[in-house]
Amino acid sequence: MTSLAHYLILSGILFSIGLAGVLIRKNIIVVFMCLEMMLSAANISLVAFSRAQGTEGVPVYDPQVLSLFVVAVAAAEVAIGLALIVAMFRARKSVESTAITTLKD
Amino acid sequence: MISATYTWAQFIPEFTLVGLATVILMADCFLPKIPKSFYAIFGAVGAIATAFCMGGDAELSRFRVLAVIATALAVLLAYDYRKVTREAISGSESEEGTSELYALPLIACAGICALTQAKDIIMLFVSLEVVTLSSYVLAGYFRRNQGSIEAGVKYLILGAMSTGLLVFGAAWYYGMSGTFMLDSSVVYKVLYHADYSLRIGFMMSMALLLAGAFFKTGTAPMHIWIPDVYQGAPTPVSAFLAVASKTAGFAVLCMLLAPFVGNQLVSIVECFVILTAITLIIGNLGAIGQTNAKRLLGYSSIAQAGFIMVFLINDVGEAAQAQVANYLTAYLLATMAAFYAIAMVRTQRGHEEISAFRALGKTNPVLAFLITVCFASLAGVPLTYGFIVKFDSFCALINAYGIAELNCWFTTLLFIMILGATVGFYYYFKVIREMYWEKQQPEDKPLNVPMVTAGVMTACVILIVALGTWPLLTGNL
Repeated sequence: MTSLAHYLILSGILFSIGLAGVLIRKNIIVVFMCLEMMLSAANISLVAFSRAQGTEGVPVYDPQVLSLFVVAVAAAEVAIGLALIVAMFRARKSVESTAITTLKD
Repeated sequence: MISATYTWAQFIPEFTLVGLATVILMADCFLPKIPKSFYAIFGAVGAIATAFCMGGDAELSRFRVLAVIATALAVLLAYDYRKVTREAISGSESEEGTSELYALPLIACAGICALTQAKDIIMLFVSLEVVTLSSYVLAGYFRRNQGSIEAGVKYLILGAMSTGLLVFGAAWYYGMSGTFMLDSSVVYKVLYHADYSLRIGFMMSMALLLAGAFFKTGTAPMHIWIPDVYQGAPTPVSAFLAVASKTAGFAVLCMLLAPFVGNQLVSIVECFVILTAITLIIGNLGAIGQTNAKRLLGYSSIAQAGFIMVFLINDVGEAAQAQVANYLTAYLLATMAAFYAIAMVRTQRGHEEISAFRALGKTNPVLAFLITVCFASLAGVPLTYGFIVKFDSFCALINAYGIAELNCWFTTLLFIMILGATVGFYYYFKVIREMYWEKQQPEDKPLNVPMVTAGVMTACVILIVALGTWPLLTGNL
């Protein structure tokens, strides 16, 4: 029997991996995947809480609505993000975060 | 039930703004004869008309009006910036593909308007994302320009990270309180009647939600994107991000913190004092060495965010919200005018370094005076509105506990604020010094001030001076 805590731990681990990836990885596409992972981790929490708050097996639907919005926003973000990364690759011939050095103090 | 919280009628301004943007995008496709720069005027006039028609019943309605006016001014700035836009987009005189620069800020602005009316986290999240997603596109809009692309990518990665934090916070907010409503009764219920672990989870969710808001306001530790993005993004977009997006951030902050009014059980005061102090230090010290005017305004916007945060430290009631709105008004007037000046200098002298302002005092004395007033207001010189609001910010801190009971946290913050205000004089006056003290070089031709820029800057300066002297005349500080 998996309880609420199991789902929350899974989502917490996914979120941490995503956050660590954003902070550590150099390749912007990988960073981008890690960002999506953070959003997915939040979705798992949302759905888990939605079931946990429900009564007699009927979940509360508010968090699931939010998770649908999150999926939609994440899709839009991927579209914009990949477009920017392609433009960056054209300008720099690289997708490493170490290559973006025009703007700095 | 969330659907019962909102009515269709309250979102009329948002629909109008999205409608305006749609009209621009459609006309761009189907009426190729119309010059694209006309859409800038159309969008700006439409947005200002929307701002005047907006009702003021919502709690954060002043933020909403400010955001719409800031967007209108940013779109209008894009009109005077059209020469640079054309060169960056097509590399020629063709206007092809420039109309989104006028439409997207309106969509983002609709997001900000919806945001100020949000009563639950779902609404808050969706409208905040409307702002953020449009801003990513806008920041990287000059896709052949290295700086703009870099600004877009940096903004995207840091912005998406803050979105992740916000959503995770939202999930836990729901999990701990059982509702998405942002209401003092919810906070009360969780903080007073629940067991300890729920309270910890709830405070964690609040921390994550606040991190999302701090990203928009530019409060440390979420400020790192600001200087880079302001410098790299097209100037009208920098102006939009500097004013409208920051207004959105402070609206979210007010919304998240307002339910905590009067709750002595959980004190987040120390935490806020530390963040405010760090923001002030980073903003002011970072600005000292800057030579690029847009980057200087980026650090300046971090520093100003620090001064605004002071209002929110103690109690986020109606009074504090009004003070934040006042400060944002002063910030809007001065920063917008400064961005207009930068855009004009960029269009005619070809770069955005502070040295581009050289000898404007000799070549364009009136313009130099207008720019001087703007930067003086940002620095907080008396007789400008910037002084009044900065004074307010100091008073807010002292009034919070009374001067006699200032503890070590507050004294330290007060000291840092004084230091920050002083340092501000140095770096804002760098621009003024460049205009009056530097010798005129042969290549420094007098600038030809476009009508829109002249009108907006004059209006801003008149308002800055009028609002700055009026309280002194009436004795009503």
